[in-house]
Amino acid sequence: MHDFDLVQLRDELSERGILMIFSGPFSHSIIEELGEAVRNYLQSAQVNRPAMMDVFAVYIEQAQNVRNYMRRWEMSADPRGARIMQSGIVVIARDQGHYVISSGNLIAQADVSALVARLEEIRALDKPGLKALHKERLRVPLSDGGNAGLGLIEMARKASQPLQYALTTVDEYVFFTLRIVI
Amino acid sequence: MENLIVEATRSSPAIRFDAEQRCLRLSGESYPENAAAFYAPVFAWLKAFLVTLAPGAAVRVELDIQYLNSSSTKVMLNLLDLLEQAAQDGTPIAVEWYYDPDNEAMLECGQDFSEELTALDFHLMERS
Repeated sequence: MHDFDLVQLRDELSERGILMIFSGPFSHSIIEELGEAVRNYLQSAQVNRPAMMDVFAVYIEQAQNVRNYMRRWEMSADPRGARIMQSGIVVIARDQGHYVISSGNLIAQADVSALVARLEEIRALDKPGLKALHKERLRVPLSDGGNAGLGLIEMARKASQPLQYALTTVDEYVFFTLRIVI
Repeated sequence: MENLIVEATRSSPAIRFDAEQRCLRLSGESYPENAAAFYAPVFAWLKAFLVTLAPGAAVRVELDIQYLNSSSTKVMLNLLDLLEQAAQDGTPIAVEWYYDPDNEAMLECGQDFSEELTALDFHLMERS
C-alpha cells in the first residue's frame, strides 16, 4: 500500500505555489464551482478585477477545452475513451509574481499534429497578429463539438508570455500540457 | 408574440426579450456547457420577432455582460449578425453595450463587435 501522506502532498502543493488543483473527470458543474472558488480567492487576495477576470477566463477556456475533448470520447465506443476521460487536470498557481494556469489531458496520437499546428500558429504571433487572427476566426462557424477555434487565441491575448505546451508519450496516448502565464 | 424570458444561472445570462416594447435585454455571464444549444431558442425567437416588425419600427437592444467565453463570443456575434441584417434591410436598431470601467475585456469585446457591425447603431456605454 502507498504511504498516503497528505502532509507531504500539501507541502509539495504549497512549495510549488499551487492555489487550486483538480484532477479527474470534469463536469460542467465542477468547472463552475471551481471558477467561483478561484474568483473568491482572488478577490480576498485583493487582486484587481482585470487580473482576476483574466485568470478566471483562462481557467474557463482551459477547463472547457479539456472537458470538450473528453466529451468527444464520451460518445464513442472506442476503448481508449475511458482512460482519456479520467486524465484531465487543471492547476492554478502563483509563480514569480504571475498567475499561471495549466491544464493537461491524454489525447490520441492522431490528434497531435493538428493541435501542434494550431499552437505554433498562435505562438508565432505578436499581440496585433493575435487580434487580427481573432477577428478572422470570429467568423468561422462553431464546430459540432462546440469548439470556437478562439479559445487558444483569447488565452494568448491575455498572457504575458507566449503560450507553452508539452507533449509526453504515455503508452499509446500523448499527454498534452498547456501552460498560460498571465 | 410571447416574450422570451430566461432566468440567469451561474454560467448563462438572464434574457428579457419583450416583443411589444421591442426591447431585448441580455445580462450576466455566459459560459454554458454548450453555447450553441443554450442560444438556439434565442435565435429562433429573434428570427420570428424580426419578421413581425412593422416597417420602420425601431428596436432597442441592451447587452450587459460581464463575461463571455470563446464559444459564447462567437454565438453572440451570430445573434448580432441577425440584427445587422435587419438593420441593413431598414429596421432602425440601437445596441447598447454596457461595460464596467474595470472590465477591459468586455470593453474590447464590444469594440471588436462594433467594428464588425456597421449597420447597427452601436453604443459602448461605460457604467458609472
